Amino acid sequence: METIITAVLVIGTVWGGVIIFIRKAIQFEKSKKEIPE
Amino acid sequence: MQQNEFFTSRWGLILSTLGIAVGTGNIWRFSRVVAQNGGGSFLIPWVIFLLIWSVPLIIAEFALGKSTRLSPIGAIGKTAGKNFAWMGAFITFVSTAIMFYYSVVAGWCIRYFVSAFSGDLFNTANHLSYWQQFSESGMPVFFHLVAMVIGGFVIYKGVVKGIEKANRFLVSSLLIILIILLIRAVTLPNAIEGIKYLFTPKLEFILDYKVWLNALTQNAWDTGAGWGLIMTYAIYMKKKEDIALNAALIGFGNNSVSLIAGITIFSTVFALSSTDAMMQISQSGPANTGLTFIYLPLLFSKMSDSIIVNTIFASLFFMALSFAALTSLFSMIELATKTTMDFGLSRKKSILIVASAGFILGIPSALNMKFFINQDWVWGVGLILSGAFISFALIKYGVDKFRTNIINGFGSDIKIGKWYNIIITYLVPIEVTVLLFWWLISSTTWDPEWWNPFHAENLGTCLAQWFIVLSLFIMLNKTFVKNVLKNEN
Repeated sequence: METIITAVLVIGTVWGGVIIFIRKAIQFEKSKKEIPE
Repeated sequence: MQQNEFFTSRWGLILSTLGIAVGTGNIWRFSRVVAQNGGGSFLIPWVIFLLIWSVPLIIAEFALGKSTRLSPIGAIGKTAGKNFAWMGAFITFVSTAIMFYYSVVAGWCIRYFVSAFSGDLFNTANHLSYWQQFSESGMPVFFHLVAMVIGGFVIYKGVVKGIEKANRFLVSSLLIILIILLIRAVTLPNAIEGIKYLFTPKLEFILDYKVWLNALTQNAWDTGAGWGLIMTYAIYMKKKEDIALNAALIGFGNNSVSLIAGITIFSTVFALSSTDAMMQISQSGPANTGLTFIYLPLLFSKMSDSIIVNTIFASLFFMALSFAALTSLFSMIELATKTTMDFGLSRKKSILIVASAGFILGIPSALNMKFFINQDWVWGVGLILSGAFISFALIKYGVDKFRTNIINGFGSDIKIGKWYNIIITYLVPIEVTVLLFWWLISSTTWDPEWWNPFHAENLGTCLAQWFIVLSLFIMLNKTFVKNVLKNEN
């Protein structure tokens, strides 16, 4: 049981973090397209 | 200083910066350290230190590079004050000294890729002797040259056509290869035992302070935080580019790659090892090479009855390792090149000087493992000091002012709260102090002549080499300021 909890916690935080941050970055990229270089 | 060349997009910047963070340490060091520190028990502090060491320092590096558009000497001098430019020089020197021997490591990886691809790796049953024959010959010098020439060429081509283009291809390919290897590894019979070990926490390890210190060390050495490398790539990010979100993506992305590599290696070793799997993963071998260059080739030869299948997977593994090593090497060469450019030289002249010096000064590490171990020890621990200098620069400038005006300034997608002030002002200095004392004091226990500066791995050699470099840079501080910060008020 503790193995599953640790796996979910670690994988969830690390890989979950990547997925959330990528989604956020895509959202912000769309809104930033209008800003000049 | 006017900056003319920029990464073309956010994704170009992220892939290039991820290329810095993802190196051989994610693949060979991570698995070994996890095995030595109780599997799942190690992963918990490892995630905590990602949040309170790696990500805050990556944010600081992005912000320093973007706001000053200068390499570490100028960036630290401009932020902390002109009296402290020598700290930036130390950060630069540490990463450059690592570059000298890291190019040798990249050369080893390229050699093993060639060897696996040509089938030569499976012509031997004794992989220890195969490694010894290679490492004790002159061959590492040749492959060190190959790595340095590839790195030099990429940096010569510049930011967009060189760094960004190469990293887009290499980092994307590396991620695809690692996922292919992961799928193959977890579908091997008995792979689940390896995964179980990796994620099972043991109370006695969680309560052991050494596990926590090893988790912090892994984050300090593996994410690229505090090396000055991310600071250098950040010079080329556009003004409208965000800092905090990109930094979080790099930190979490790097540790995700470590997890993929860890699951792959634990599954493979537990599935294919006929002897004690844990002992094999934990074995360090010379310069951490035991698992990667001696034991894994043996396991790849046992992966299936088909030599073609085994060759494909071994080639893919060493290709991934070579890509990981090269993308990190690029950033080290760029750091030294950009620093030389800040002294007024052209990119062409700078890269010629850096690549030539890199090749010549890497030769001792290519030929002599004791020298290699010495440099890895002295400058590996020196990185902790580099992290401290970055944190000092922010404290000197005013962490709250830095956070509000620079990190949360123009272009920021997400705003960083006051928690950042606490981490940089208190936690990072505490982490640095504890880590430095722990490593330096530990080193007195594994060498009776701990004071002897001519020994490979002890306190004496560390302090002696740091003292020489730091004294020289403190004396040269005025020269750094005069040349690098001449156009700054």
